[in-house]
Amino acid sequence: MSIIEDLAAQLRATSDELPVDLVTRALEQLRTATERLGRVRQASVNPLAVPELSAATEHAHLAGHALQVAQDHLAAYLSAIGLPAGAAGDTARPSTVVTRRHQGKEPARRAAPDAATAPRWWSARVAVLTGSKDRPSDGAARPATDPEELLRRVSNRAGAGDRERLHAELRGVDAEVGLGLAAVAGPALRRLAGQLLGHPPRVPDLHRLRSEVSGPVRDLLPGLPPAVLDTLLSRVCRTPPPSQPHPAHPADQAVAAGVVTGLLLNRLGGNRSNSRDNHG
Amino acid sequence: MASVAELKSAIEAAVQQISDGQSAVKAAGEKLGEAQQTLAGALEGSGHEAVTAAHAALSQAAQELDDCLTATLAAIEQARQYSSTL
Repeated sequence: MSIIEDLAAQLRATSDELPVDLVTRALEQLRTATERLGRVRQASVNPLAVPELSAATEHAHLAGHALQVAQDHLAAYLSAIGLPAGAAGDTARPSTVVTRRHQGKEPARRAAPDAATAPRWWSARVAVLTGSKDRPSDGAARPATDPEELLRRVSNRAGAGDRERLHAELRGVDAEVGLGLAAVAGPALRRLAGQLLGHPPRVPDLHRLRSEVSGPVRDLLPGLPPAVLDTLLSRVCRTPPPSQPHPAHPADQAVAAGVVTGLLLNRLGGNRSNSRDNHG
Repeated sequence: MASVAELKSAIEAAVQQISDGQSAVKAAGEKLGEAQQTLAGALEGSGHEAVTAAHAALSQAAQELDDCLTATLAAIEQARQYSSTL
């Protein structure tokens, strides 16, 4: 074996052994824990660790993505020095963290909630955020039954600037489904912001991102405390959020994340297409 | 009808699940550290753009795993705190 072949074998082996499977396992465990806690806390306004778990899930998702990016770069390097990529970064890679979410590993969809039994505190908070009157769902549209479906609907309504229908989409869902928006929107937000900026969002980009979305967010969510948007954008830019004297209502960050996703998608011209892939 | 004992048991089950997730994250961090060392040795002296990008992606993965672990610690603390108030 030549020296270069030896180097290539070492790089392939290291790339293959990157802990994508462990990160995927962690993601699945964190999602299961989130679902369990969500069921426990559904009728309570206490966030019961769900926001922290959402953040943990987002970080695990981003870690898995970064590992795959590293594998791709190693494969590109091998190719550039005249060696076939082989196992490093090839298509035989195990199911990726990013795609696994959509390949039969999703939790079973919940039955559509009965509008009369949907948690009162959730619909009341959604009414405050959207500046609407808290009223029961009119039953015209079946509520979303999982966070990804809700994210698609919310981002479409937000992108269209339709506050009334945004309120209608949000008010009838289970609190657990609504709170799940924060976890599913997180990775999409960072990627969309990166597409808008042309590079991964950083601290100096906070001002631009804020100026892009704060006006439309105010129009769609007039009841949203401004600090919630600051916290959300700080997380997108990977900087510690400004400290707040009072913890935010658990619904606020979730709803804001869904709305900002829709606004960024719309800004990038992506709301007309099937946005499911854009949320992965 | 659910009891406090059932509620506490459900929270503890979720906490156990988070702990299992933490173990996977820690193991991933250890494997990642080993891979970074191996690659640093094997690719020392390379100024290739793809190598620089691979190192950067691995550093980002390590940071995300650290942040993930921190968030899970906070989640467990919150869940146990709530459970103790029941």
